[in-house]
Amino acid sequence: MAKKTYDLLFKLLLIGDSGVGKTCILFRFSDDAFTSTFISTIGIDFKIKTVELRGKKIKLQIWDTAGQERFHTITTSYYRGAMGIMLVYDITNEKSFENIVKWLRNIDEHANEDVEKMILGNKCDMSDKRVVNKERGEAIAREHGIRFMETSAKSNINIERAFCELAEAILDKTSGRESAENPERVVIDRKNNDKAPGYNKCCA
Amino acid sequence: MTEESNFAAQIENDRNKLSVRCQFCNCLMLKANEGSYCEQEVDVPLMQQKQDRSAEALQTEKLRHFWLIKDMMTFENIGFSHTVDGRKFLVCADCERGPVGYHELASKFCYLALGRVVHGDK
Repeated sequence: MAKKTYDLLFKLLLIGDSGVGKTCILFRFSDDAFTSTFISTIGIDFKIKTVELRGKKIKLQIWDTAGQERFHTITTSYYRGAMGIMLVYDITNEKSFENIVKWLRNIDEHANEDVEKMILGNKCDMSDKRVVNKERGEAIAREHGIRFMETSAKSNINIERAFCELAEAILDKTSGRESAENPERVVIDRKNNDKAPGYNKCCA
Repeated sequence: MTEESNFAAQIENDRNKLSVRCQFCNCLMLKANEGSYCEQEVDVPLMQQKQDRSAEALQTEKLRHFWLIKDMMTFENIGFSHTVDGRKFLVCADCERGPVGYHELASKFCYLALGRVVHGDK
């Protein structure tokens, strides 16, 4: 049996209304000039990305809903095993922001209760078309006690940072669990470096 | 891309001597020594399809030289397409160009084509 080449595996999901740019967040490179016609026709199911956080090698398996949200068929099977969820709205689309509450309810119904969530206000490069200001995004995140970030998949703003922060939040939970099961393991106190999470080093 | 004449130099103890990377963006796909060499003749769709093709006529080529990866989590970075006839195609996780190989649903094995990637530690 081959040795395991990583420490942890996190399954992450992208959820939100159609057209908010989930696919671009997962698949940053949306320039058709480069995408092979064959691949863009069949579409991408998921990706595996490796990041290093606090000395641990973490594999992220990232899934997109692939349009299921249009038919309101996102159910338990899609959420199964998910440890982190990126909840995405479009800052130029009021409705997509309002629906965040609906998605949060859907997650409560179907996902594991300790799933780590993060709200992303995507398309922040389109400031001239903005209808949802940043404060509203921050407010709804605060209200539900979850993280928030504005991103631009197109301009590659905060995308990798968002994934690393989500992974880090899951890591916090996981390390808590591990230390309980395995008391001899050294648990790194991350309070000291809270201000400087390691996302500069990862996702490279 | 790695030329066929150069394949033998990439194999050490039946495994990939160097890291496997995307030929376009250099994204690291597989670390050295993580894939095992295998030969089989498989039809793989071309990375560039001709514009005027009809929907039915998928252009493919026969490829023979692959790195076999038994556990998909062995990859550093890789993308999987949706399923077509029991296979998912592998693409670069960053630039999404491909297919660079395929994943067989029945066996869960992944096959990365030597001729569609580059080999090197930098």
